[in-house]
Formats: sequence, structure tokens, C-alpha cells
Amino acid sequence: MSRRLEERPVASANRPKLERRPRQNFETWSWYFMRISGLVLIFLALTHFTITHIVYDVVETDAQFVADRWSNPLWRAYDWTLLALGLMHGINGLRWILDDYIRVPAKRVVAKAVLYSVTGFLFFYGTLTIVTYQG
Amino acid sequence: MSSTVYKGKSGQWAFIGHRVTGFLVFFFLLLHVVDVSLVNIDAELYNEVHHLYGNVMLRLFEVGLLGALLFHSLNGLRVVMVDFFPGAIRNEKSMFTAVLALTGVLTVVGGYVIMKPFIEGRILS
Repeated sequence: MSRRLEERPVASANRPKLERRPRQNFETWSWYFMRISGLVLIFLALTHFTITHIVYDVVETDAQFVADRWSNPLWRAYDWTLLALGLMHGINGLRWILDDYIRVPAKRVVAKAVLYSVTGFLFFYGTLTIVTYQG
Repeated sequence: MSSTVYKGKSGQWAFIGHRVTGFLVFFFLLLHVVDVSLVNIDAELYNEVHHLYGNVMLRLFEVGLLGALLFHSLNGLRVVMVDFFPGAIRNEKSMFTAVLALTGVLTVVGGYVIMKPFIEGRILS
């Protein structure tokens, strides 16, 4: 009986915290996703920018440039990965921003619906562009 | 609202900078998906729209994009280090200074290359 008493945590403001076990919910995964996708995107996005603005001048990246590049499926895979990770990283970042700054629940629902619809459509549209391009 | 303004230091500015640059880069990505998609509709139309990226105003916009991309990348790296390496929090402020310095230097260098056709007088507008 006395042992049981010892095991009980001290009643304090921290008590609910002590009893709560860490759970891997959606927010935990989204936190990890932002860090991992962020590290990959640093490489993908900065390389992409360097090629299209520094190595080549921006006016040189015309339709012929796209044709040459997308004749290689690996470049299509590179561009698609950048598209997918960029949009996912961006949609999650904007979700956090909307959660922080839009305090009226109804407005937040509308803003998120717009964000998810626009991003979802552009993910579909961008994928279609990369996959169906024939030169 | 005005009664609860948090006057933060460098970490707070890093946080705000990260949000603003992330927001800007994301919106450029949305625009970029649309402009690239034109290549599938009509190559000539793509070339015409794409040529706009070569004018001075949009070149300045691209320098801004590079700055935003660099700040978001380097500060993101700082965030990851602070999160995963317990010792890094002690150097958090000097890392933020390094983020700003590297962003500035690389944006000026890259910006020079992007603006070069204008600087050399090859394009006027």
C-alpha cells in the first residue's frame, strides 16, 4: 500500500504533462517531413536555380532547352521530385501560417479549402505537363 | 492586439523572415507551374511568355527570388541544426548572423550574374 503511494506522481501543475506519453500523430510527422524535405529541397531547388539562371541565362531556357532537357527521363524525374516536394513543403508551411493568423474558424476553413484546391490542382497540372510532354 | 506585441530578438526575426520567404517562394512555384505548362500547349506561346523573364523588372524579381531561396535554405539549415544538435542552440545567434551574411554575399554574386546583360548594356529594358 505504501509502495503504491510512492509511485504516484506529485500533484502539481505539471502532472498532466508527466502522465502524457509522447504520441506520433500527424503533426509529429509533418514536423519531421518539413525538416527532411527541406534538406532535400535545398539541394534540388538551389541546383535548379543555378542551372536555369546562373549557368544559362534565363532567356536561353526556351522551348528548345526544355525539349533537350526532358528528352532525358532522369531530368523529368528530377523536375517532378522538385515539384512534388516543393508543393508539399509549401502547402504544409502555409497550413501552419493559416492556423496561426486566421483566428475565425469559418474563415480558416475557407482559406485552407482554397489552399488545398489550388495546390492540388497545380500538382496535378504540373505532373501532367512533365509526364505528357512530347517535345 | 496591440497590447500583446512580442518584441523578440534575432530568433524572432529569423522566424518572421522564414515565413515571409517561404510564402514568396511558394507563390513563385505556383506561377512557375503555369508558365512551364505553356510548353505543352504551344511552344511559341511558351517562348513569348518566357522571354518576359529576360526583362529588367523580372530579372530584379529573380534576384529577389534567389535571395528568398537562399535565406529560406540557410535559415532552414540553422533550424535543423538547432533542432537536432543540442549544442547548436548556444551558437544560435552567430548562426543567424552567418545566415544573413551568406545570403547577402551569395545574392549579390548571383544577382550580378543575373543582371549582367543589363549591366553590360546588352538589354535596355
